[in-house]
Amino acid sequence: MRNKFLMLAGLLVVFSMLFTACAAPAAAPAAAPAADATTEATAEAAADATTSDPNSLPRNETLYYNGQQWGAVVGWNPYSSSNNNAMAIAQGDNARVVMFETPYLYNMLDGQVYPLLADGDYTWNDAGTELTFKLKSAAMWSDGTPVTAEDVAYTWATHVKYNTPTGASNIDYIEDIVAVDPQTVMVKAKLDDAGKAVNPLLVAAYVSSNYVIQKAWTETLEARAGDDATAFLADPAEDVVYSGPYGKYFTDDSKAVYVRNDGYWGQDPSMWGKLPAPKYLAHVIFKDNAAGTTALQAGEVDVSQQFNSNVQDLWLKDNLPISTYLPEAPYGIGASLPTAFFNLASPGLDQVAVRKAIAIAVDYPTIIANAMTNQSATFTQVPRSLMNPTEGEQATFDHAAVADLQWAGNDVEGAKKLLDDAGIVDTDGDGWREYDGKNLSYVATCPNGWSDWQAAIEVVAAAGKEIGIDITTNFPEWSVYQTVVTKSDTPLPEGYDIFMMGSNGAGPTQPWGRARQLMSSEFIGMPSNWNGNFGGYNNPDADAVIQAIPAETDPAKLNEMYTELVKTYLTDVPSFTLMYRPQSFHTVNESVWTSFPHEGDGTNPPVPPLDLTDGWSIAGLYNLTLVNP
Amino acid sequence: MKGYAIYFSNKLLWFLVTLVAAFLLNFFLPRLMPGDPVASIVARLAQGMTNTSGVQAIYEQYTKLFGTNLPLHEQFFLYVRNVLRGDFGYSFSQYPRTVADVIGASVWWTVALQLPAIIIGWIIGNTLGVFAAYRRGGFDKVLMPASIFVSNLPAFGMAVILLVIFAVQLRWFPTSGGYGFDMIPNLSWDFIWSVIVHYQLPFWSIVLITIGGQAIGMRSMSIYELNADYVKYSRFMGIKDRQIVGYVFRNAMLPQITGLALAVGTMVGGALVAEIIFSYPGLGSTILTAVLGGDYPLISATTLIVTIMVLIANFTIEIIYGFLDPRIKAAQSD
Repeated sequence: MRNKFLMLAGLLVVFSMLFTACAAPAAAPAAAPAADATTEATAEAAADATTSDPNSLPRNETLYYNGQQWGAVVGWNPYSSSNNNAMAIAQGDNARVVMFETPYLYNMLDGQVYPLLADGDYTWNDAGTELTFKLKSAAMWSDGTPVTAEDVAYTWATHVKYNTPTGASNIDYIEDIVAVDPQTVMVKAKLDDAGKAVNPLLVAAYVSSNYVIQKAWTETLEARAGDDATAFLADPAEDVVYSGPYGKYFTDDSKAVYVRNDGYWGQDPSMWGKLPAPKYLAHVIFKDNAAGTTALQAGEVDVSQQFNSNVQDLWLKDNLPISTYLPEAPYGIGASLPTAFFNLASPGLDQVAVRKAIAIAVDYPTIIANAMTNQSATFTQVPRSLMNPTEGEQATFDHAAVADLQWAGNDVEGAKKLLDDAGIVDTDGDGWREYDGKNLSYVATCPNGWSDWQAAIEVVAAAGKEIGIDITTNFPEWSVYQTVVTKSDTPLPEGYDIFMMGSNGAGPTQPWGRARQLMSSEFIGMPSNWNGNFGGYNNPDADAVIQAIPAETDPAKLNEMYTELVKTYLTDVPSFTLMYRPQSFHTVNESVWTSFPHEGDGTNPPVPPLDLTDGWSIAGLYNLTLVNP
Repeated sequence: MKGYAIYFSNKLLWFLVTLVAAFLLNFFLPRLMPGDPVASIVARLAQGMTNTSGVQAIYEQYTKLFGTNLPLHEQFFLYVRNVLRGDFGYSFSQYPRTVADVIGASVWWTVALQLPAIIIGWIIGNTLGVFAAYRRGGFDKVLMPASIFVSNLPAFGMAVILLVIFAVQLRWFPTSGGYGFDMIPNLSWDFIWSVIVHYQLPFWSIVLITIGGQAIGMRSMSIYELNADYVKYSRFMGIKDRQIVGYVFRNAMLPQITGLALAVGTMVGGALVAEIIFSYPGLGSTILTAVLGGDYPLISATTLIVTIMVLIANFTIEIIYGFLDPRIKAAQSD
């Protein structure tokens, strides 16, 4: 019996092993539906005179990314913002110009814009109401037809007609965009009652933030959608015509791959004079940051646009050929200001003393060391204002004039004194201060799973306890959080007394855009407010300055105005910055590709650390070389 | 035969009742979650928009498209009608993809990973369990503690251990993905090999845990059965060992089969951990994103799949039981 049993057991094990071997290929059918796409892509690639194996991406022809694409790509429609196609479609201050192109490219390092589709600088008329630029005669669409002024004008008209996010957000500032001749575009600013442009800053920003889309293709799309706005925006636009150096190659649930268009117009001497180095840009879709970091360590990612905790360990401890833009902390260039907003309607938070006491008691060095693992400048290095740490923005205000108002944190005694002086003290001896007879008790919050923000919010709560203010934390899901925080037409519900939101990064309208975002009362009352001032701060004097800045051209006057805003912001404390965060995280693995942007790399104009895809940083794609050619 | 007919129709009735109840819950429960998923889609679309009427127009456009402006009972009847036609509508979180498209792209990865893993884990586990019960001694002394240890490891713990040892340290296997990071799906041997290699770590992280639990259960059942009176009696009767083992195996197997059915039924939920840690494509992570994004249609459709799988697995088991264990049929015909 014993032998029989052994034999039975043995057979079962052998059977199961065989089954394992058979089982694995069973996963292959999953890929089968993608095969069509591959054939299609292959055909496309073949049209581009490809000779390499269509089934694999040669490592030394492919630049791998992480941190930009989360979840499967759902479309290629540049009019829509719901394609989840981050590598191809991202319009904004540092627009991603891999597939679609803007007339100008913004460079966050020097604050300048450089022509891409445009030929030379743009000019304003004397009245400051019309902005004119020319298009490069070499600029071509992927179908070989030239990019014309009519395309630029029609793109705008379409945004307005279908009320796209781009249209809706610029309609208050741009009257019209017209083609003066096939090569000349004129952007007409919307005028106020005095006949002046409502906001020349935003008009100028349009030409470096928004794509030019082909008129002929747009008409095809309109015909397909039958003039139905929903169908127009929901169209996946697989047939889209583009002007950028890369187009669609392959996408599925686990990756997105873009292939170089070897007929790209930018190899003309009037632009880059050559093609970008990598033939393919590939983005594997990772489920979380940890998976992305592991792949970066394994050399399966070249450019990492995600938060890699303790990034310096990758080269100091693991001895990997990995580096960041700066060799030392903060490793990158801080551009945005993750901020804690006070709900000014919460009892007690309408008092400046309470707000300021909390803000100055917070232990910022701990936030920066723990939550950001030192990937942020400290508030001693870059004292707080409305400006990010870039030189350009720091030069916009008078540092000496606001020095008395700035704080670096950990000032528990100062905070206590502030509250005592304001008469906000603990009268009933329970350890918590009262205001209007009630204990000061608040909930500090940020989205669940945003671990660096959660860590920062915990530090804020800890500061409250030090100074006799009861602050507890709560972390709702982002899907809930975002709808609550951005609903500015009703008071914030319970549980949102102190809450975090991001801020604008670097861009052509900054630091004005950020000052407006943090202080302007114009957003109060919006049902879906993604613009800012989520706590409901209302200061008519600040509003007036914010409204006046875009039309001001005198640098001395501007400096005065910005200094004024910083003073008000640091005095009233409607919100407070918790850390500095880079525009994009930019960590590179140089085991295959090298010559990535690094501080002092000698590029002129300097290539910003924005992953070689955004704004002027795409210039970096043309500088890349192989470690082993 | 009458006993079987009563037993069978009884089970079928309960199957249908449970299905209807589960279907109702699948529809209504996700919609009771806080948050307005359409508002979050609009929020995404409206980033940067500064005029309020524009945002409001977009919001109304999408509530109409997704039907969330209708009263809940009307939404339900619409949903039932559409589901009966096989139309699960648009996914909110991956709009404009349809639910069918999202699930179609991910479900095969999960089935191909989980089904073989559960079955093989079950077979190996039971084999080892019987083996331990029969051999006792040193084998049992090693297997038992090992099984208890392994079966009590949380699934993510096992996945992380395998990841760190075999992918990060030894570099025998890739760290993430369903196929090579440098491949495009096709029917070449290179690609199939890549799928097999990527398959191993997530696969074994599930198998090892399944083995442990099954082995413990099977060992206890077998020991119990080996000492049962009918075994001793059979031995006295001079019945051959092979036949006795057959009796023992058949009796010890029953609870194990239930375990297998439940494991198969709930595999989608169990897939989540392995899929996330290995960035493996599949339904588990689809459900997670759907829940976090308040994506009602996707939640309802995926939970419906899980529900139907569990129900079918249970129903099948009940039927098989009827044949395997005459006592059940006997009880019904009384």
